Amino acid sequence: MSIGFAPAPQGAPATPVRRLAQIAAVFVAVAVAPVHLARAQDASTWLGKAAKAARELTYVGTIVYQHGPRVETSRLTHLYENGAEHEKLVNLDGPAREVIRSQGEVRCYYPDAKIVRVEPRTFRNVFPSLSPQQQQALAQFYEFRVGEVARVAGHEAQAIVFEPRDGLRYGHKFWVHRDTGLLLKARLINEKGEVVEQFAFTDIAIGVRVERDHVKPSWAGTPPDWQLKEGTAGDGVAQDTGWAVTRVPPGFVKITEGFRTLRGKRDPVAHIVFSDGLVAVSVFVESITGVPGQALGTMRQGGLNVYSMKVDDHFVTVLGEAPAATVRQIALSVARR
Amino acid sequence: MNEDLSRLMDGDLNETELDRVAGELRRPQALATWACYHAIGDSLRGCPYGSPGFANRFSAALAAEPTVLAPRPKLGTERPAARWAVAAAATVAAVGVVGWTAFSLSDAPGTAVAKAREAAAVTSAQVRPQMLPQDYVLVHQEYSPATALQGVQPYLRAVSVQGSDVRP
Repeated sequence: MSIGFAPAPQGAPATPVRRLAQIAAVFVAVAVAPVHLARAQDASTWLGKAAKAARELTYVGTIVYQHGPRVETSRLTHLYENGAEHEKLVNLDGPAREVIRSQGEVRCYYPDAKIVRVEPRTFRNVFPSLSPQQQQALAQFYEFRVGEVARVAGHEAQAIVFEPRDGLRYGHKFWVHRDTGLLLKARLINEKGEVVEQFAFTDIAIGVRVERDHVKPSWAGTPPDWQLKEGTAGDGVAQDTGWAVTRVPPGFVKITEGFRTLRGKRDPVAHIVFSDGLVAVSVFVESITGVPGQALGTMRQGGLNVYSMKVDDHFVTVLGEAPAATVRQIALSVARR
Repeated sequence: MNEDLSRLMDGDLNETELDRVAGELRRPQALATWACYHAIGDSLRGCPYGSPGFANRFSAALAAEPTVLAPRPKLGTERPAARWAVAAAATVAAVGVVGWTAFSLSDAPGTAVAKAREAAAVTSAQVRPQMLPQDYVLVHQEYSPATALQGVQPYLRAVSVQGSDVRP
């Protein structure tokens, strides 16, 4: 399947709707048996409900994050108020690093290193409105089934499973709160059936009262002796970066392409994102002078695989929630257009 | 070079060094040192390396043996001494296979390099998360469907205390 698609005309805002339209256009040609379609609608309904619940409910809970042999615990507070989300995540183990996510930006505080990283939020989530074409694509590359009913964090949860139909992607198992649709547990599974990463609530209170103070950072502003690392938003316009990615697995479509400025780098960084509906893979290309001493090769954290390499005088990094071989294959196919 | 080989065995080389040392390993002398270090390691761990040429002689002898397609005698009818002989032969065979595998390394530089790469890859999987480019992770996360489903949870990858180091 071709992964190329016409970029948005220069100057047109790359709204989520526009992106969806682009993705839909790519999938028009995909033919799937009707039996898949019913399943696909089913899968899409579950995902849509989970995304809506994650966004529009107010909840407080403890999360256990497992990646490889490591286990970390953190506290999550999510407030939905007047149509806006406010979210705070604090590490309970080790240094009390925290993530504050609000409408406009994501801030990460690293008190151990005295660093604040700020990234603007430019993209809204896709699930409330998966197009029929996207649903079909999902069904074509994953076998969807509704699994068992289980107890998670003391709540009754329905398991739903996305099993990949090829070796190019991970399997997903989600446990969804039966009453609200909120994800209580999410697991990424490799081709050997091993869990590569898991996020799970061990306790959660849904629909409780949360004050605004509970979702504010523990530091007011940026403490004077801290470093502020601030990125800038993409220009919101799909741009041709001049880089081509030729070997993207089937089912992955380009959802954005453009330049971003990261942490005060001199030159903007090219960023291209592909998604198969369940995960995304990002391709970053920047001048080699921007990243002296950067490690090359494969890196990994839990379900996130990273592959970095030099292409001429540029540095290519591909990362995403896909197996290392898939990420590497994509990286090796990055070339100047 | 010898120190690099030693570090390679310990899985301490980074990707760039690995490429260089893997290239070096194509030289017979480096390969001999590599095999020698493994022999030392094996003997320290109590795995005897065998006499020089043993594997080749054993392989030749084994190949020359006729394959006997006789029905298996009933259990208990053979004499204990015969059972000991069978067990001893099996042990010798096992040692032979291990020995052959070790010796074949010096015949095939490609295999040695592949093995070295494999060893380093395993180590890199354990060590490399320290180097995760966090700025990239943060940018990526906003576009990931996982963020739509789980909110801020996947950002734990960027602030994980055990998994990632903070790079200025």
